[in-house]
Amino acid sequence: MIEIEELRKIYQMGAVEVKALDGVNLNIDKGEFIGIMGPSGSGKSTLLHLLGLLDDPTSGSIRIEGIDVSRLTDWERTMFRLYKLGYVFQDYALVPELTVKENICLPAMLRTDRTPKDYVEATRDILHQIGLWDRRDHLQSELSGGQQQRVAIARAVVNTPDILFADEPCANLDTENSRLVLDLFREINEKMQQTIVMVSHEDWHKEYFDRIIRLRDGKMVNGGG
Amino acid sequence: MAKKELKVALFLAWRSLVRGNRSSVLLNVLIISMVFTNMMFFPALMSGIGVDIKEQIVAYQTSNILIEPAKGERYVTDLDATLSLVNGMPGVERATPHYQEGGLLKFRGRLLGSTIYAIQPREEKYVSPLYTTMIAGSYLGDGDIGEAIIGEMVAGSPNIPEEEEFNPSLGGVRVGDSILVEYSSGLQKEYRVKGIFRTGNYDMDNRVFVSWADMEEVVGEPLNYAPYITVKVKPGYTESFVQNELLQYGLREKVETTEELLNKGIGRALASFSIIGLISMLVSLVIAVVVIFIVIMIKTLNNRKQIGILKAIGVEKSVIMHSYGFQVIILSIAGILVGFLFTGLIVVYMTYYPMVTPEFSATPYVTPFDLAFNGVVLFVASVIAGYLPAWKVARENIQHAIRG
Ligand SMILES: Nc1ncnc2c1ncn2[C@@H]1O[C@H](COP(=O)(O)OP(=O)(O)OP(=O)(O)O)[C@@H](O)[C@H]1O
Ligand SMILES: [Mg+2]
Repeated sequence: MIEIEELRKIYQMGAVEVKALDGVNLNIDKGEFIGIMGPSGSGKSTLLHLLGLLDDPTSGSIRIEGIDVSRLTDWERTMFRLYKLGYVFQDYALVPELTVKENICLPAMLRTDRTPKDYVEATRDILHQIGLWDRRDHLQSELSGGQQQRVAIARAVVNTPDILFADEPCANLDTENSRLVLDLFREINEKMQQTIVMVSHEDWHKEYFDRIIRLRDGKMVNGGG
Repeated sequence: MAKKELKVALFLAWRSLVRGNRSSVLLNVLIISMVFTNMMFFPALMSGIGVDIKEQIVAYQTSNILIEPAKGERYVTDLDATLSLVNGMPGVERATPHYQEGGLLKFRGRLLGSTIYAIQPREEKYVSPLYTTMIAGSYLGDGDIGEAIIGEMVAGSPNIPEEEEFNPSLGGVRVGDSILVEYSSGLQKEYRVKGIFRTGNYDMDNRVFVSWADMEEVVGEPLNYAPYITVKVKPGYTESFVQNELLQYGLREKVETTEELLNKGIGRALASFSIIGLISMLVSLVIAVVVIFIVIMIKTLNNRKQIGILKAIGVEKSVIMHSYGFQVIILSIAGILVGFLFTGLIVVYMTYYPMVTPEFSATPYVTPFDLAFNGVVLFVASVIAGYLPAWKVARENIQHAIRG
């Protein structure tokens, strides 16, 4: 599903070169729940952003479902993200003026292959699944961090993306809420065969992952292939 | 950009206005409405003054059209024939001559230089509302000899000592009193004051009027000539129509419309008024543009990360840009509508309490065109000011936005 070859990302800081990613080779299959782990500054976010078409590599190639994504135009990349990819970030980044329901609907509203009936139903189902149906008309400011992150996950999966990316989604949560969120990810992964790529640096998260990719100084130390 | 995207942008904009910071929305609307009112007020007041000055001049001094002697001559001669010719023209309500003589007025030890105007009282009624402005006594009759009507400022007040007067006067003349007029020819004549008028026009209220017949006695010959003739135009006819008619008929006198006279006389003053008006409008616009620019700029900067993430999840940058753009559009439409209201309230207020000076009493003069023009200018300026930062933030690199 995702094939990565010799992926490099180099930042030029004046005279100094920062090799954020230094030749990564990796294949990810459909339905896998991948964990990217490693110390701070090892390149985890960089890798995730490159896979998620949020940034361009310095060199190397990424193919998603056979498509060489480096050839896409800016607009095609936006559409690719809208139709095929889902994202969850560390801070939940909901739109504060929208209710839970409206936040979840938002990306679906922009798709031409979704009727209002489709996304209203999908939103209802997902709200039940994340256990926030009662809170559907609340604003972000009326939710706890864990609830907000579950809404962000719902927003990411309501479009049934091919791949779901998550960058440290539990970093701001306590253990209990982290478990709720991780359980939700696993449930989505198992029930819907959802491919998930998640960055984490909490060691205890690894029990959730099918496979772990460890990075150090921009290089993979295991788990590739 | 498809309908779907515009709908989502409008949805985001509306939610942001309704559920966002209320007081900020109100403040924005208030600022735009104040700017609009400010854009309207000064030019409207200026044109109100212009309209009032013109109305007064038409009412009391030159009427719609002024006929003056041909070049090199002192008088319009052959007056009777000229008058009946002009009066016979279509579109002419009435033409009347005025005659004037300088003179010194004497009353109980007071002396006052003035101009004595001779009119044909009955004819003058068709041209000037002077006869409606009597505050004491009555208007002149055609055969009144030795009688005069005087302006309120000439009459003065007995309660104000001479050295404290702002406008020199005769110090409290009443109807029935006698005043002595010493004409520049040296002739002295006593007049009984038949009436006192108040027009509100400074120049007019300093005049003394006598009948044509009386003036003929003063001059000592029949007055078949006059320094000028005023012509009142019938409703439905324009000044320039009647002017052309008169000129085409071969009248050899100088024929000018009041519009032309005004452009010569106070035209330059009005032109500098309109420059001041333009400057005040530009300053208002700059204020509006800067305020809106800053407001949207702050909004977008505060939401930088959120915008980056919306882009990351596949919201097109044009949707984000328009979501801010629509906010500005809604705010400025609301602001301009409230501005209409403020302007209307000011106009209503000033209709009842106009700004009064000796020369004019002014009420802002607002036309639908002015409202529409200023509204559109302010709208366009606001929208540009709002779209600029929205466009900038929507184009920002996702990495920069997300990583902060
Ligand atoms: N815009 C940038 N300019 C220069 N260097 C950058 C930039 N973005 C990231 N880096 C560097 O690239 C390296 C990898 O960063 P990255 O954010 O991928 O690390 P990470 O593994 O996600 O760390 P953390 O666990 O702290 O989030 C770091 O050394 C970082 O300083
Ligand atoms: Mg990171």
